[in-house]
Amino acid sequence: MARLLLLLWSLGPMLWQLYSSLRPSAALSGTGAGGWTLEHYRQLLQGDPPFLTYLLNSAVVGICSTALTLALAVPCAYALTRIGRRQARSLTLLVATAAGFPAVLLFLALLELARDWHLANQLLALSLPYAGLCLPLAILLLQAAFADIPIELEEAALIEGMGLWQRLRWVLLPLMAPAMASSALLVFLFSWNEYPIALTWLSRTDLLTLAPAMARIAGSSVFTIPYGAFAAATVLGSAPLILLMLLFQKQIISGLTQGAMKG
Amino acid sequence: MRWRLWLLMAPALALLLAIFAAPFLHYLWLSTQAQSVLTGLNPEPIGAQQWLRLWNDSRFWQDTWQTLRFSATSVSLEMLLGLAVALLLDQPLRGRGVLRTISLLPWALPTTVMALGWRWIFNDPYGPINRLLAGLGLPAIPSLSNPAITWMATVGADTWKTTPFVALLLLAGLQTIPADLYEAAALEGATPWQTLRRITLPLLTPYLLIALLFRLAQALGVFDLIQVLTGGGPAGSTESLALYAYLNAMRFLDFGYSATLLLGSFAILLLLCGTAALVWRWGSRLLGELR
Repeated sequence: MARLLLLLWSLGPMLWQLYSSLRPSAALSGTGAGGWTLEHYRQLLQGDPPFLTYLLNSAVVGICSTALTLALAVPCAYALTRIGRRQARSLTLLVATAAGFPAVLLFLALLELARDWHLANQLLALSLPYAGLCLPLAILLLQAAFADIPIELEEAALIEGMGLWQRLRWVLLPLMAPAMASSALLVFLFSWNEYPIALTWLSRTDLLTLAPAMARIAGSSVFTIPYGAFAAATVLGSAPLILLMLLFQKQIISGLTQGAMKG
Repeated sequence: MRWRLWLLMAPALALLLAIFAAPFLHYLWLSTQAQSVLTGLNPEPIGAQQWLRLWNDSRFWQDTWQTLRFSATSVSLEMLLGLAVALLLDQPLRGRGVLRTISLLPWALPTTVMALGWRWIFNDPYGPINRLLAGLGLPAIPSLSNPAITWMATVGADTWKTTPFVALLLLAGLQTIPADLYEAAALEGATPWQTLRRITLPLLTPYLLIALLFRLAQALGVFDLIQVLTGGGPAGSTESLALYAYLNAMRFLDFGYSATLLLGSFAILLLLCGTAALVWRWGSRLLGELR
């Protein structure tokens, strides 16, 4: 019984969107007959720019931010586990505080950064603030994973005469794969969903990522509200994420819980 | 050897400083500057005037109250529901893994996407809620047009989205509690309520605190949901501090005051999270002594 309630609570609103997106506009406002239609999807996909552009933009920013975050966080997390207790503890505390900070309060300063460095309306440049905002969580996750690797393993590699880079590449990183996958997924989710910075950095319609595009669709018509199109947009906007969640639920869940426990 | 470790950390630390620390210095400076349309968007020093303006700005205090109301209500709901869901998912039931994944879906969706969805769900008269009410012969709820109700709609949408996150954290906490404790309690004839109060909750405390602090900080910075779902309306009744700061910068082009507002919001956030952590610590110590 309780399980059914939970299922209904989680899925209900989404199923309603799916249902609405397939119904003709007249049926939604109660004036016309029933029936089913793909009209709303056609409208979105043929819009200017087509809806898929936003999804593509979000995917590009997401992948780029993920790569940048990992490239910065892996060496940092490694160094934190090797640098000695005292410094590591205070640095970790700072990083954990940053992990909980609401990013929206930073938007104005980041906007000026974008202006000064001519980063506005550059899709890939968004990865810079995104990587910065995701670093705390990624560092915490990776640091915990590095700490779990027995130090003897690295010492053995050191005796074999392997350099720092070789040790990282051939000994440590293969063992880090699960933690790196979790962090990568969480960074990707974050940048896919991020709104205030994308909103202030991007103004060209063909560069918008999904979140600001949705808001723009919402703001486009206050009075004659095209709810069928809204619903279709929510469905198309959530579908990739739902797929991601279903495919990688284990990594995402372990990343989230690990991140909180270390933080 | 040591300097090489610092070298490895340097790029990440530099970016962290640029993203998290530099903004504050910049805001501190900008809050003492007039930089708006009136000054041709050039900064001009005006001392503490904007802080005075903040102090006397009734819209700031109204938004503070509204943000606090939103945060307190939604975070308490999320903690309660999250605990209930976590306890449910901790039971060894069939289909637990699938249920856990499904219940986490709302958290994974972009806030703006579902905010748009909620606008349709709360629609008067064609949304499902009001259709259902009409079917039962009840009056419709003007969820998005009545200042007394709209803020509750925003709380509802936020609770829907973030309860799964709280539940997941608490579930991780529940799974660290050794099963023999429960077995011992059952042998002693403890009721489920006693088990919850004497074993589960005390051992869950660190997780509850993390979830609380994290959610409180995020809720106090609420922006996406409000901006898309209500735009701060009706009549500014759901406007949050972050939205007010955003409007000042992007619509009124008053950057100096926007920075002042952001610092003000940050001060409130710091104050509340600090108080919450302290109260929690004292409270649990007091309870520990009483027990």
